[in-house]
Amino acid sequence: MTTASRSDSRRGDPARPDNRLLRLRVNGTVHSVAAPPHAILLDVLRDVLGLVGTKRGCDMGTCGCCNVLIDGRAVMSCLVLAHDAQGKDIQTIEGLAFDGPDMHPLSKAWAECGGSQCGFCTPGFIVTCHELLANEAAPSRTRIAEAISGNVCRCTGYKKILDAVELAAARIREAEPASAPAKSGGSK
Amino acid sequence: MILPPFELHQPTTVDEAIELATQLRKDGVAFDWMAGGTDVLPNYKNRLNARDHVIALGRVDELTSIGKNSIGALARIEDVARNSRVQSDWPTIAKAASLISSPPLRNLGTVGGNLLLDTRCYYFNQSEFWRDSKGYCLKADGDVCLVVPQKETCYATYSGDLAPILLVLDVELEFRGSNGARRVPLRSFFEYDGIRRFEKAPDELLVRVFVPSTDKALRTDYLKLRARDTIEYPVMGVAMGLRTKGGTVADLRVAVTGSEAVPLYYGDLGLGGATVDEATADAVQAALLDRITCYRNVPFPPGYRKAMGGEFGRKLFLDLSGKA
Amino acid sequence: MRSDRHEKLHPHDDAVQRHGLIGKRIPLIDAQRKSTGQELYTDDLRPADCLVGKILRSPHSHAKIVSIDTRAAEAMPGVHAVLTGKEAPNSFGVLPVSQDETALAVDKVIFIGDGVAAVAADDEETALAALRLIRVEYEPLRAFLDFADSLEEVPEELRIHKKTVDGTNLHKQVRQEFGDVDGEFDRALWKKRMSFRFPGVQHAFTEPLITIAHYDADDRMTVWSAQQVPHYLHRALAKVLEMPMHKIRVIRKAVGGGFGGKSDPFPHEMVAALLSRKCRKPVRILFDREEVFYNNHGRHPSKIDVGLAIGKDKKVAALDIDALIDGGAWGSFGVVTTYYNGVLANGPYRVDNFRYRGRRIYSNRPASGAMRGHGAVNTRFAYEVLLDEAAFDLGLDPAQFRIDNALPAYTKTINEFRITTNGIVECIERACAMAGWKDKYGKMPFGRGIGIAGGFYISGSALPIHWDGIPQSTVHLKADFDGGITIHSLAAEIGQGSDTMLAQISADVLGVPIDQCRVYSDSTDTAPIDIGSYSSRVTFMAGNAVRRAAEEMRRLVIGGAADLTGYPPEVFVLEDAHAINATNREVRVPFVEALRRAMKDRGALQTTGCYSGPPPMGGQHKGAAAGLSPTYSFQAFVVELEVDLLTGKPKVHEVWAAHDCGRALNPLAVEAQIEGCVHMGLGQALCESFDYNKGNVENPNFLDYRMLSSTETPDIHAILVETYDPEGPFGAKECGEGPLLPALPAVANALHDAIGIRFYEMPITADKIWRALQKQKKAAAGSATQGAAK
Repeated sequence: MTTASRSDSRRGDPARPDNRLLRLRVNGTVHSVAAPPHAILLDVLRDVLGLVGTKRGCDMGTCGCCNVLIDGRAVMSCLVLAHDAQGKDIQTIEGLAFDGPDMHPLSKAWAECGGSQCGFCTPGFIVTCHELLANEAAPSRTRIAEAISGNVCRCTGYKKILDAVELAAARIREAEPASAPAKSGGSK
Repeated sequence: MILPPFELHQPTTVDEAIELATQLRKDGVAFDWMAGGTDVLPNYKNRLNARDHVIALGRVDELTSIGKNSIGALARIEDVARNSRVQSDWPTIAKAASLISSPPLRNLGTVGGNLLLDTRCYYFNQSEFWRDSKGYCLKADGDVCLVVPQKETCYATYSGDLAPILLVLDVELEFRGSNGARRVPLRSFFEYDGIRRFEKAPDELLVRVFVPSTDKALRTDYLKLRARDTIEYPVMGVAMGLRTKGGTVADLRVAVTGSEAVPLYYGDLGLGGATVDEATADAVQAALLDRITCYRNVPFPPGYRKAMGGEFGRKLFLDLSGKA
Repeated sequence: MRSDRHEKLHPHDDAVQRHGLIGKRIPLIDAQRKSTGQELYTDDLRPADCLVGKILRSPHSHAKIVSIDTRAAEAMPGVHAVLTGKEAPNSFGVLPVSQDETALAVDKVIFIGDGVAAVAADDEETALAALRLIRVEYEPLRAFLDFADSLEEVPEELRIHKKTVDGTNLHKQVRQEFGDVDGEFDRALWKKRMSFRFPGVQHAFTEPLITIAHYDADDRMTVWSAQQVPHYLHRALAKVLEMPMHKIRVIRKAVGGGFGGKSDPFPHEMVAALLSRKCRKPVRILFDREEVFYNNHGRHPSKIDVGLAIGKDKKVAALDIDALIDGGAWGSFGVVTTYYNGVLANGPYRVDNFRYRGRRIYSNRPASGAMRGHGAVNTRFAYEVLLDEAAFDLGLDPAQFRIDNALPAYTKTINEFRITTNGIVECIERACAMAGWKDKYGKMPFGRGIGIAGGFYISGSALPIHWDGIPQSTVHLKADFDGGITIHSLAAEIGQGSDTMLAQISADVLGVPIDQCRVYSDSTDTAPIDIGSYSSRVTFMAGNAVRRAAEEMRRLVIGGAADLTGYPPEVFVLEDAHAINATNREVRVPFVEALRRAMKDRGALQTTGCYSGPPPMGGQHKGAAAGLSPTYSFQAFVVELEVDLLTGKPKVHEVWAAHDCGRALNPLAVEAQIEGCVHMGLGQALCESFDYNKGNVENPNFLDYRMLSSTETPDIHAILVETYDPEGPFGAKECGEGPLLPALPAVANALHDAIGIRFYEMPITADKIWRALQKQKKAAAGSATQGAAK
């Protein structure tokens, strides 16, 4: 019941007349997918590829629950056309947050600090913060708050999220001091 | 939420894009340009003037560069905000960019998209169901404005953040179309109402924004009114450029967003040559209050938004003249 | 600071002495699943061949349905079922006294967004296209969109529901009076009456409402739904579907936030089930964000008039409340809300003369219901603001004034609430101490201010809403050969940490690591009844139930150890996954061995614990049961903020939030609840508002329904005050709702300290502050001119 196939029985069906084939590189794997030109990336990720870690919160770019990384940058997948994401490198929570000993420092810190309550917003936050920490080794709490300001959390009051990002940043700095960007403030 | 179906075109060069657009126009097919998608796609989800064809510009890499005197129309807003050249040469462009929406939307949105942003209104930016139950408005599917009930003019509010400072800096827009390239000063680009907004052929594509070199002594800043420090569109925004000489106003440039259907450039408000003092700051405020009109169609009461336009003008004048 | 007090109160509570899991700061047991994106929410389920269900909604505020023609939709390829209201006319509702909802509108629609018909189709495009083919003929009726209209006597066809008060659209009216209110007002040293206005606010959980239903080949119905109370949904489904409860299974997967907004049984849940039964395929109904706003059930828009009289002893002499609340289209929890708006003002300060009139109207708008701090938030705001005014006018320190008026511990309020432990004074003192109150109040520059407010809330309702004698919480424990403890409960984990609480208490009592416990709280088939996650009841009630079940399990396991060792059971304790002879700690039997021995003649161990309610309590007056709780939480906040004098924009810098949670079973989780409450309370105070444009919700989206973002949420200092409730599990009381209450008035009181202006209307946005500042400036200029003229 929980694994099977599609939520929307005709999405991803190559026989559907308006579907076009596209190739999406998601979490390092290239998937051949059939989707109409107006298909939204979020829908393809969830309903065709079954990557349900990316959540649908508002569908209008106002909550950040659906954030994924495209070429390393956090974007709202509800506002990206699937066909427009072809040829790009897409990473979802499933590609970032491994479990077990390889757990991403953000996921680990999130759990320890109480960054999730209902957890629905968490994948989107982790994706956003992944981009932040890739660019800035030691962001201040104010900077973190600014960076996550496109993500809505209705449970935590954000405090424990800030705690988690700070802790993860510190651990990443400890683990790989050489490869972390030298300055905070970031640039692209 | 699914989008209404459309045919998608994904050119990789400007030439290809123009060719496509020209052909579509010739065929009499309505289409939209889509850059970052952060304005077009929510509107399409709401079934707002959706068209049968969309030309997506995500693969046109040549328009993303930021140069010595120009910014590509497809430069991402976050890239503009964080670009060191922009930060040093045009700090207020960087500031205005950094105040746009929220970080993931700035990662998607583009300079051109923000400049040509569709206008906004409580009666317009709603779902088809909502508009059907309320009655359709002039701007989409209806024939009467629901803000100011009449059938001529759309009073939706222009909500771009970059326009005011670009007006102050007197930038030129370069368009490419089937008839080649043309350049238009931004100051004469916007006119008309919330539907027509500006004169641009459908197959014309905004390619670059040219920023003329300005006197280094021209100091600029932008103040934005919004209910929260993220996500929100400006419901009032004032950009100012000021150069003083010998205690008088040598160059004053004021532009406003978040008031009427287009961003407005007010020049020096008739205060060129005025003494730099509190009285002139008061005059800036009074002149803005004379000129600004707001309607009840976006957050915050119109009277308050207008008043903030005046306050911002006064504060900017004092800050930029060093009298604060 | 905790242990002394504790030993005095509960010398026999072994948990503290042996340093078990209780009181430990531990991550929630599902935290890693959530932070890696592995947690499954209802919409993440992928039943094979699942259809998409969509609901056609009314474009009218109030209209008779003349006809519905669904033939074209039914004939459309890809459409599997079409449903209209007449097919399922049985009414339902969360309260037995207000069964006024139906799956779809039957005779008339009563708000814009009301469901009229529904389809199940192969995909979303087809479903939406089919909806367009349904022809509905309406005959519009007069819409009731404000209080005055709904209070008018009107002909029957204009009444939104059959059962109303005196031929109006008034849904419910309640009155209570104790003491001599008018007399106290006559004799008062200080008195004021003021009218307060509150727009509606919404839970705005991030996970939209979602239900999947499948009527399967065995004629059984399974409904997966994002629910806080699977049990109430179970009851309503049985009624609407006319099926026995045992053939219906409700499954709650992870819930993406609730805050009260997923605690009613909802029409779309009925619709999904009915559609599935009609076409015998799974049907998914996922709301878009706008539909969530139409479903609403948020906090009632309210107009609350409050009179406060302070006696010559400078104590609260009388409180007179008249609350008029807008219930919208349906009853929902509204009868309870109508009472709570008054009765929950009887703490944390002593009031001996109390009068209350509460009225709830029906209107042609989305229904209001229960939201975090249910019924208590708006009146609390009004009361605390007036208290602040009284203190200010009388030259008293508002913090000390509150302490001087505080109810004592172990007392009864005038309306006969039984108060047990009471940490209000400690809350005020600690919040003030941390905030530096004495150095700041009245002493900061213009524009910067500090304010205080208190609060008091129930820990579950003493009496359940269904009076059928079933315990409010039952928990089953099973321990089998593998040594794992399986906990079955229907308390809904909605992010507040109830699963963790159940596991933590079990592990503590049984002396095993928490990961040896696993919680199954998702299915009505396997879990004993629990009336769910609302009313701040779970830690207190399910916590007591699981403790009892675990203690019984402990007895059985110790029996196994006693059998194995020959020592009497009394000498054993369970610790470190062992049964240990406390008189000779060398004697240690591994927990699993003791368990297996105990299983010898009976198989897997199964125990049950339940919580039925506190001992009989409360008065005999009408409505005496409303607000009765086995215990009450207390809280006090200090808020420091600054106003941008140019724009009026307020910025809250810090909040010191002290909360008497009885005992913090898991300080991490208690802080989390307090911090979340602060965020939500500040949102209502500063920017959240459910706006209407006549019958249309003007802002049914997250852009214009403004919640505080990360950039506006202040630094929050949660202060845990522990008073050890004698009946709470290990002394615990609620912590999920009470801490919202002081947030709103503390902001308003801080604003007064900052700029000398009182606000009586929510939300207090920049434009209102700026306008008030302008008025203040003009008045000052006016009086200066007058002064000069003299």
